[in-house]
Amino acid sequence: MVPGLEITMPAGVGIPFAARISFDSYSNSRILSPCVDSNTVDTISQDSTCQEEKAIVSLPKIVLKYSLLIELGTILLKVSIMKKRLLKSSPLHVEITDVDLTPGPFCMSFNFNLEPLKASIGGFGILNPPYLLRNSDDNFTVVAGYRRLLAARELGRSDIVCQILPDDFPPFEALLLNLRDNLVHRHLNSVERGMVLKRLTRFLKKEEILTNFMHILGIPSNKQTLDLFLGLEELEDTIRISVATERLSLRVAGLIRGMSRDDRLSIAGLFICLKWSFNQQWEAIQWITEIASREGCSIKEVLDEGEFTQVLKNHRMNNPQKVKAIVKTLKARRFPSLVEAEGLFKKGLSNLALPSRVRIIPPSFFEGVDYRLEIAFSKGQELRAKLAELSHLPGLESVTDFWKGIAQR
Amino acid sequence: MKQFKIRRILMEKGAENDSLAKKILKELPNIPIENVEPDELAPREDIEEMDKQSLRMIHFNGEFLKPCPGTRKYICCGYQILNIGINCPMDCSYCFLQSYINQPSLRIFSNLEYHLKVIDDIIDTSPDRIFRIGTGEFTDSLSLDYLTGWTDFLLPFFSGRKNCILELKTKTSCIKGLIKSSYRKNIVVAWSLNTPRIIANEEHKTASLKRRILAAQECQKAGFVLGFHFDPLINYPGWEDGYEEAVQVLEKYIDPESIIWVSLGSFRYMPNLKRAIKRRFPGIDIFDGEFVTGLDGKFRYFKPIRVEMYAKVSERLKKWYDDLGLYLCMESDDVWKKSLGWSPKNSANLCSYLDNRVRKLMAE
Repeated sequence: MVPGLEITMPAGVGIPFAARISFDSYSNSRILSPCVDSNTVDTISQDSTCQEEKAIVSLPKIVLKYSLLIELGTILLKVSIMKKRLLKSSPLHVEITDVDLTPGPFCMSFNFNLEPLKASIGGFGILNPPYLLRNSDDNFTVVAGYRRLLAARELGRSDIVCQILPDDFPPFEALLLNLRDNLVHRHLNSVERGMVLKRLTRFLKKEEILTNFMHILGIPSNKQTLDLFLGLEELEDTIRISVATERLSLRVAGLIRGMSRDDRLSIAGLFICLKWSFNQQWEAIQWITEIASREGCSIKEVLDEGEFTQVLKNHRMNNPQKVKAIVKTLKARRFPSLVEAEGLFKKGLSNLALPSRVRIIPPSFFEGVDYRLEIAFSKGQELRAKLAELSHLPGLESVTDFWKGIAQR
Repeated sequence: MKQFKIRRILMEKGAENDSLAKKILKELPNIPIENVEPDELAPREDIEEMDKQSLRMIHFNGEFLKPCPGTRKYICCGYQILNIGINCPMDCSYCFLQSYINQPSLRIFSNLEYHLKVIDDIIDTSPDRIFRIGTGEFTDSLSLDYLTGWTDFLLPFFSGRKNCILELKTKTSCIKGLIKSSYRKNIVVAWSLNTPRIIANEEHKTASLKRRILAAQECQKAGFVLGFHFDPLINYPGWEDGYEEAVQVLEKYIDPESIIWVSLGSFRYMPNLKRAIKRRFPGIDIFDGEFVTGLDGKFRYFKPIRVEMYAKVSERLKKWYDDLGLYLCMESDDVWKKSLGWSPKNSANLCSYLDNRVRKLMAE
């Protein structure tokens, strides 16, 4: 628990959680709860910073997730935050070329579309100035407003008014400032959440991050998940973009992180070039890695084989057909005996000349011993005729043997 | 004899006065002791890593004797489990406990000796039934015997009963307690066996094949009846040679006439076990086989693969000696017939078959 100021507010039973809290917008608070209504922020700009020193704070029930201490059951609502401190910053006209616009230590933006922001800035200017810190090269490091600066540069602006934070402004607080600014008005994609966590590791132990930050980012608070997110930044841009756009499953990204670069890019390429559901991706990646292990080759070697490339290049197949064909090929290589048995059973049935609309269904994976006969009919007479036909059908006795006798590979 | 590293003792409230707890404290005088509450939650990481270097003394209030959690979908042997503890200091990659237990540490039920009376009552209420009881389901029967002295009180207790046997199942060569005991009647000492490759790659911290079989030989010479369990059979390139080698070592050192049974079981696992294993043992290849979902929800090798493995291993064992009491663990009637050439058809008949093995071997 962060030691901090306790704000106590009277509230009656049944009164909605709404209170007036005074706090400075850039205090070193760790509360990280929404400081203003997100709609209000959205109307200012897509990448704005809360500037009001006093704000009306709506505390819907969801705030429970954000605050560090809320005791219910009494008429008191308690919120613990760190001690208040007024944020001191000074406005300055800054040449954009003097600002380091590579993703810096406070940046948590990845794979974004600048066009709406450019349209807003083009129309109304920058309503909320970016916040910068002076760096050792006497240039500036972006704390908040990274995208505003990029948009301004793309619009051909040479300088804009920024707020310069004091030189002794603690880097951890700068990071929190930007985090809170982002959290109040937009959803962070998985890669961005990974960036936040990675940057937090510069200041905090993993245990502290697990306890105080994972839930704020909407991530299950456990070490494996933290490691998964922390590892995203090590991945290639194509993979990160696919994760950020939810084209590639986060779980799959976690799994391929431990692979060689060639294998990783090869498998990601397969999932990115076709549209797979996350479940299909997960099943396929298991099969591909197990095929590689069974056959003693690399994942890239498995996927470079002709059967896959032919499917990918086949212009007569649509996306779902391609995915289905690849899954079928993978299954045949992953489960050769099972697929052979299924083929033999199907072939045996086709030689039987069953009456129309009659099916024989084997037990799942031939594991059980009970087969099912399904007869579709619309009249009793039709059923009788089909039963008569079946009773004289030669070869029925061997139905349960069709799949047997396969050789193990 | 191998001793496993214990870094701390966790003493649950209520266990401190139990005789077994006192004995262990005496055996480990320099190990730090932490007093803990029975319902204290363990860190998730400890649960996942199983915390195999902490010995937790528990005054157990559950049932000490329970039927083996078999399944009605397959033929089961009607075994009874004597709960002496949970978790084991060895670390087999395929161990089902990795997804089964929800508490870490080597958990020792320190009031076991006191509760043997209850087991006595259960056994006595069914005098015509034979109880085949084992302690090796949730832990290794002998790996911690040098600390717990389980054999000191379990052997006299079960040797004195008329209608039960105690099977001590192990992957160790920790037989000191057995050998020094004077009790032999109704005691089966059994080893879980596998190929040298599986032992080396998957059965971490266990005794080698040869050491296990040499320990079995010593027990046999000392008058114990033996059992062997080829479980889990694992299908990998070269498995036939591996199991051939295992049988050859048996052949070399063991007299087959006093073997009460040899079981065969193929590798099977619940879906969540795969996740746990892959996390703890990255790069593991035991899942490379063709697994399909079985009738009980566990993944098993596709039936023809199981049949082939059982048939080949059993054929080789029969070549060594044709009255080994071979049986399959959790298999279906058709797999029995195709693999061994006969089937007990149901669990009751398998029970009778194994009970008869008890009558035959224990009467001799």
